[in-house]
Amino acid sequence: MNYFQFRKIAMAALLAALALNSLTTKLQAHGLEGDRFFPPTPLTDDPFAVDELSLPEIQYNPASASRETDISGSLSKEIFPKFALSISDTYVNLNPKGGPAQDGWSPLSFNAKYQLWEIPEHEFILSIGSDFTLGGTGSKALPSYQYYTTYTPNLYLGKGFNELPDSLKFFRPLAITTVTGYDLYANAASSNALEWSGSLQYSIPYLQEHVEDVGIPRPFRDIIPLVEFQMTTPTNKNAVPTTGSIDPGILWEGKYCQISGEVSIPINNRSGPAVGGLIQVQLFIDDLFPKIFGHPIFGSDDNNETTSGK
Amino acid sequence: MRTFLTILFTLASLSLAQAHAFLDHAEPKVGSTVQVSPAVIKIWFTMQLNPDGSMIQVLDSKGVKVSRSQVKIDPIDGKLMTVSVPKLGAGSYRVVWTAVCHCCGDTTRGDFTFTVAGP
Repeated sequence: MNYFQFRKIAMAALLAALALNSLTTKLQAHGLEGDRFFPPTPLTDDPFAVDELSLPEIQYNPASASRETDISGSLSKEIFPKFALSISDTYVNLNPKGGPAQDGWSPLSFNAKYQLWEIPEHEFILSIGSDFTLGGTGSKALPSYQYYTTYTPNLYLGKGFNELPDSLKFFRPLAITTVTGYDLYANAASSNALEWSGSLQYSIPYLQEHVEDVGIPRPFRDIIPLVEFQMTTPTNKNAVPTTGSIDPGILWEGKYCQISGEVSIPINNRSGPAVGGLIQVQLFIDDLFPKIFGHPIFGSDDNNETTSGK
Repeated sequence: MRTFLTILFTLASLSLAQAHAFLDHAEPKVGSTVQVSPAVIKIWFTMQLNPDGSMIQVLDSKGVKVSRSQVKIDPIDGKLMTVSVPKLGAGSYRVVWTAVCHCCGDTTRGDFTFTVAGP
């Protein structure tokens, strides 16, 4: 099976699942735990196994030898209560200095995620899952072409700061999310690596709705300032040091979509020579298309009503 | 990318509905301190509300319900939900609300506190 045949089959399976899903009508929420809305952030996969559509995400990386622009899309669908599958891909454009541009698709990626443990009153969620990046499904024109498959078991965590005392109430809108994973390559020649990323968020909607109405007008009251980080630490002997970036930015929540922008600051020379950036549009498909999204394909989730915080 | 766009526009042609109802603002204000007991708690939401299932409860610092039973959706402004309360003594009160969206029946929940400073 070649790359294009595989892509067609995968998309056909996805459309079939969506059609089956439209036959059910049970409501389910997007990423909420107690009063807390955990927004999907560009670099740190949120811990919720819910319906999400990220389209597009545009990332710009001005490396020294080649400017890189990535355009990504990702669709996540809840299959069973608290269990979701997602599919994502990236179109890569490379503009080497003094050379011809190179374009192509990165390997097709899938993710499976399960919400393992939730404590709504503590705004806490722990999930497990795995990424699968299929070798041989990307464009051979790209230098990063990968013929082998990568498996990355992940641990996802989300926690709000709602338990802080009244004297620290203005810190209650803070929340963290983290993802810790380990790359396992189906290729002994490659170095395994620890992938660790996270976000620290300050939710102005949470401040206004649950802590204190300080009179911030729209559209500013729908903003969540955040800082993300994304790191890779190779674990094999003689491995190179950790690479990654610190990414401050803001995220705006609308009724139907979320728009975020971040500046990407490399942590060392190996991570990149210059500051980059990214923009992501996230569509709330459970609000846009409630007959199709917002509920699992199989089974129902009676307890998953939406709690305010967005 | 073209395939994702195809899926998106296919879905857009199937259905388009309103979002969940979230708190827009309230009287007394979220987290505020008032000098005099309010007679009515008012919450404005971002969407029109369905009276079936929508509710407000006001609890005192011991968790005892102090609000009266009947919750009203304003007949003119369908985004406004109110509940009356007796004269409240000094102390902190928690407002717990449930909002059912009029358009599609989606349920949202939330809570906030306010304080009556008292005499």
